Amino acid sequence: MQSIPDNLKPPFTDLLLAIADDKLMLGHRNSDWTGLGPILEEDIAFSSLAQDEIAHASAFYELAGELLGTSSDELAFGRTPEEYRCAAIVEVPDDFDWASAICRQFFCDEYDMLRLKRMTISNYTPLANLAGRILAEEQVHIEHSEEWVVRLGRGTHEARQRMQKAIDRLAPIALWLFEPFDGLKSLIDAGLYPGSDFDMYDTWTTRIQDILEKAELTMHVEIGEPDDKGGRRGVHTEHFEPLLNDMCEVYRIEPGVAW
Amino acid sequence: MSGSGNVGVHVDHNIQEDPEKLAEFQQKIDDGMLIEVDDWMPEAYRTGMLKMAEHHANSEIIGALPEGEWITRAPSLRRKLALTAKVQDEVGHGQMLYRVSQDLGKTRDNMLRDLITGKTKYHNVFNYPAPTWGDIAMIQWLIDGAAILNQGTLADGAFGPYVRTMKRINMEEAFHFKSGEDMVLTLMGGTMKQREMGQEAFDRWWYPSLMFFGPRDKPNAEQLPPMRWRMKTVTNDGLRQRFINRFAPAALALGLKIHVVEKDEHGMVTSKKPDENLRLNEETGNWEFTEPDWEEFFRVIRGHGPCNKQRLALRRLSYEQGHWVRNAILHGSKNLPPAA
Repeated sequence: MQSIPDNLKPPFTDLLLAIADDKLMLGHRNSDWTGLGPILEEDIAFSSLAQDEIAHASAFYELAGELLGTSSDELAFGRTPEEYRCAAIVEVPDDFDWASAICRQFFCDEYDMLRLKRMTISNYTPLANLAGRILAEEQVHIEHSEEWVVRLGRGTHEARQRMQKAIDRLAPIALWLFEPFDGLKSLIDAGLYPGSDFDMYDTWTTRIQDILEKAELTMHVEIGEPDDKGGRRGVHTEHFEPLLNDMCEVYRIEPGVAW
Repeated sequence: MSGSGNVGVHVDHNIQEDPEKLAEFQQKIDDGMLIEVDDWMPEAYRTGMLKMAEHHANSEIIGALPEGEWITRAPSLRRKLALTAKVQDEVGHGQMLYRVSQDLGKTRDNMLRDLITGKTKYHNVFNYPAPTWGDIAMIQWLIDGAAILNQGTLADGAFGPYVRTMKRINMEEAFHFKSGEDMVLTLMGGTMKQREMGQEAFDRWWYPSLMFFGPRDKPNAEQLPPMRWRMKTVTNDGLRQRFINRFAPAALALGLKIHVVEKDEHGMVTSKKPDENLRLNEETGNWEFTEPDWEEFFRVIRGHGPCNKQRLALRRLSYEQGHWVRNAILHGSKNLPPAA
């Protein structure tokens, strides 16, 4: 498929914005560690991950921008909070705690890998091509975060405690990554986003439990039917608006001009 | 983005160096050969090079802080990516320079501890504030521009590991400078608000840039060990003049005005007037200018600058917050199976 039928455009752009917004906010949060990482070598590595996420976001915004008739920067910086589609896990601050930063990255990387795999078999060629290109980089992210989870889980007593605390706090929030959005089913049926969210959830939890077992850590979560709306439908945590205000501080001085 | 050619060399006269070896060492340097870490060198050279490389490394990681504060606020996706990559480069430079220093006999942890306890110093220029996006543009243009001039001459030095590191760093600095130039051009070609932001930031950074090269030289600078041993190859005043000759006309061409300023204790400009001494001397080909306020320079070096406390506090926080992580790596379970 080379073009998107009009009736599928709203859910399809929601899908593109969900991945772009997730990646931008994750990259944004991670980039805040640049210059402040726990070890110089990791500072450099984590900063590369942040750049990857922001660059991936930029590519998805471009795809969405073509359908919406707007620019990547306008999508990244120029929307109202309820127009963003990111999930809660990328909104919560890490409070400068490395365990939280690694844990957040781990949950998101595992999710992204599965989401991108589904996108590579999309019948919308531009999406399939883009997801294919990004998948290779995402594999490096996964190796990086999985190794850190194991390294810290099997590190000192203090490291294990901190990691367990981060998992207990962030795992329930991470489940909002799976919040279905309006029209999702129509995208699946049309082959634009093939596969099943339930299968994806099962694969995600299995993979995470495997790694946590190696790390001698545990996770207890159960997904339910979300009664409340979350980020995928424009309802965000209390952390989101301050994040957005910080991110857009300079942009909003003179919106739309070159900086 | 630093360059620390101004770290003094302390010659301990109680250490009697073998005069024959000392003469051979000097001859090697005079012949343009490189000194390697395992070669014989006078103790004052080893400690001087360590001090210089360590100061440079400290400056790189402290230098990451003022710009790092603006990564989350960068106003476009392109700038956000570029600034993250730029600050990451500075951390990378720090890492390379700590490796050079480690080979000269000091552990990284000791260097980081000495930095946060104030036992060792970092470049003075990072004790000034960056209150707007315009400051980020000016830092990348002026300070990285100054660093390229300085480090270009340090790459002509005699200590092999430091020289090779300078060459690598300078290639990356050239990108930083280009990015800074592009940011300044965009601001100065932009709206009234953007041009004002650019001018105000320029007023804050012009004099710190001139002070970047260190204080006025002693009259016999070229005979003293740092230059005799080619730890540095050009005097402070020589570098400063090269900088002004390049940046004064470039700033004027962009529509910036060069002011002599007074600042409050927070580093914010309280009054300014055009630099009346600024002119191109046709005879010498050099730009003349009003000297920086050297009292301010020494006050800031002694720890009383606008941001000394803030920069060190953040560096200390980062060191302390990372302590358990380093501990886990050093003392965690051995022989971990691969995660995959």
